[in-house]
Amino acid sequence: MKFIKNIKSKNLRALVIIFISILIIVAGIFNSALSGAGNLSSFGYSLISTVCPLGALEAMMAANTIIPRALLSLGVVVLLMVLVGRAFCAWVCPVPLLQRWFPGYKGKKDHPDNQQKTLDLPQSDSKPAGSGSRGYRIMRSIGFDSRYVVLAGALVSTAAFGFPVFCLVCPVGLVFATIFTIFRLFAFGELTVTLLAFPLILILELVVFRKWCTKICPLGALISLIASVNRFFRINWDKSKCLEVTEGTLCSLCHKACSRENVDPRGKVLATNDLNSCTKCRECVDACPSKAISFPFLPKHKEK
Amino acid sequence: MTFLKKTDTRSEEQTQTTGLTRRGFALGCGSAAALLALGGTVKVVGSEALCRPPGGQDEDAFIAACIRCDKCLQICPTNVLVPAPLEKGLLNARTPTFNFKLGWCDYCKESHAGVPQCAKVCPTEALKLPEGAKPENVIMGKAYIVKEWCLAWRLKNCRICVDECPYDAIEFNNDGFPVVLLDKCNGCGLCENVCISMISTKIVNNATDRAITVKPTMTVDYLLAKESRSGGRS
Ligand code: SF4
Ligand code: SF4
Ligand code: SF4
Ligand code: SF4
Repeated sequence: MKFIKNIKSKNLRALVIIFISILIIVAGIFNSALSGAGNLSSFGYSLISTVCPLGALEAMMAANTIIPRALLSLGVVVLLMVLVGRAFCAWVCPVPLLQRWFPGYKGKKDHPDNQQKTLDLPQSDSKPAGSGSRGYRIMRSIGFDSRYVVLAGALVSTAAFGFPVFCLVCPVGLVFATIFTIFRLFAFGELTVTLLAFPLILILELVVFRKWCTKICPLGALISLIASVNRFFRINWDKSKCLEVTEGTLCSLCHKACSRENVDPRGKVLATNDLNSCTKCRECVDACPSKAISFPFLPKHKEK
Repeated sequence: MTFLKKTDTRSEEQTQTTGLTRRGFALGCGSAAALLALGGTVKVVGSEALCRPPGGQDEDAFIAACIRCDKCLQICPTNVLVPAPLEKGLLNARTPTFNFKLGWCDYCKESHAGVPQCAKVCPTEALKLPEGAKPENVIMGKAYIVKEWCLAWRLKNCRICVDECPYDAIEFNNDGFPVVLLDKCNGCGLCENVCISMISTKIVNNATDRAITVKPTMTVDYLLAKESRSGGRS
């Protein structure tokens, strides 16, 4: 535990992603022991298996029926999300890790967000700004952004043309497809254009759309929607430790650290809604100089 | 568009990236439109017919549900299932099809008492066997013989496929040449798997494939029609 606490979250995440990816690849290549484990689109043994929620939804829309087995795996996914919310996007999905390795990755140093923030603490007793229309409130409550537009597009296209359209270009699928194609080249001598085309499409998506995860990814959008069921490991901001409260300094380091999702860990009032977007990456935990932020297994009910 | 309260501590940059900005909306709409265009194009362009593993015979239902998860490929005990390459069309890419050079589909008789494992693991029921499915009525494709490449048709005394076919779907016709009985063949691929014509390339040097191959039923129908039109040259 001590050891784990000492590594930076960023590196810990990379380790976990690499570990899970290697597990999937090994299971796929030495498939006698773990046969039929599948790739990330559906990983698991036999019926105890996860399924990509977007893939399952697309399949049901395209086939225009309820698919009992897909529902079962979907249930497994929802249960996992009760436990860890949107953690998939920070701890499992290989896309953000790959983006870190491609040219054009903006490290934290380059982040344009280095101005002083105003000291204006959210007052815990003030009402959320839910004054607008009903639609506006709903949009706010799910943290509506462009990803949902893409999600809608993917589903409409799927329903209209009768096959899971997004699956064709899904970067997560392409990552594993590329790896397995390379494996098949060596194992079976299968030389196909796939070998070139898949990595090309993938790189195109990741390099051209640097903000893939926060602006486009319909899978992330769907996961954010489902993440509202999350009950455990929710972010906890300890007011009594926060420097802005105890010393009245301008800190905001936690919020700045969340450059990807732009969640404010001091949220409660400000950004209750976008907590569903929190990927539990722990960048804010690392950033806080006074250790005011944590992800306790059970929510702390101190103030209510 | 102020989603935020005065008390917000976000900088301009961050407020810009929260919620639905005009630029974000344009990007979202652009991507959504791209997905619609992709779906439409792929549908219009169409895709090559492929042989599908047991349970994937209704191509529309299959392609609607397959999420390219690789489970069927990985579990296949005979390793005959492979991901279709991009050459077979974007829609087919990564979906399961056969490579009978690597194995053949015994309907999992040898290893799992005739319970097709591919259909068993498929998470989205893209592979789903109808009631009363058995190897004889699950037609994955048909075998087709290219006479110019077949050793027996070149009077070389080969009878391997005739002997091996588990469904007795190949027999010698009255002239002693092997022919496929289309109503018996279910496309299991054993004949293609065992065919030695390519190994004997000295005998048949212009061959680009084995003499007997399994193709989708409609492809074979088309080839046979073409053959009989060209006047039964052989
Ligand atoms: S980083 Fe820590 S001290 Fe700074 S504002 Fe956030 S919770 Fe408070
Ligand atoms: S039935 Fe068995 S042998 Fe045939 S393709 Fe499926 S898994 Fe492979
Ligand atoms: S198991 Fe089903 S969904 Fe997965 S690749 Fe095979 S046919 Fe497609
Ligand atoms: S002719 Fe070939 S593909 Fe058809 S059943 Fe016999 S061995 Fe299988």
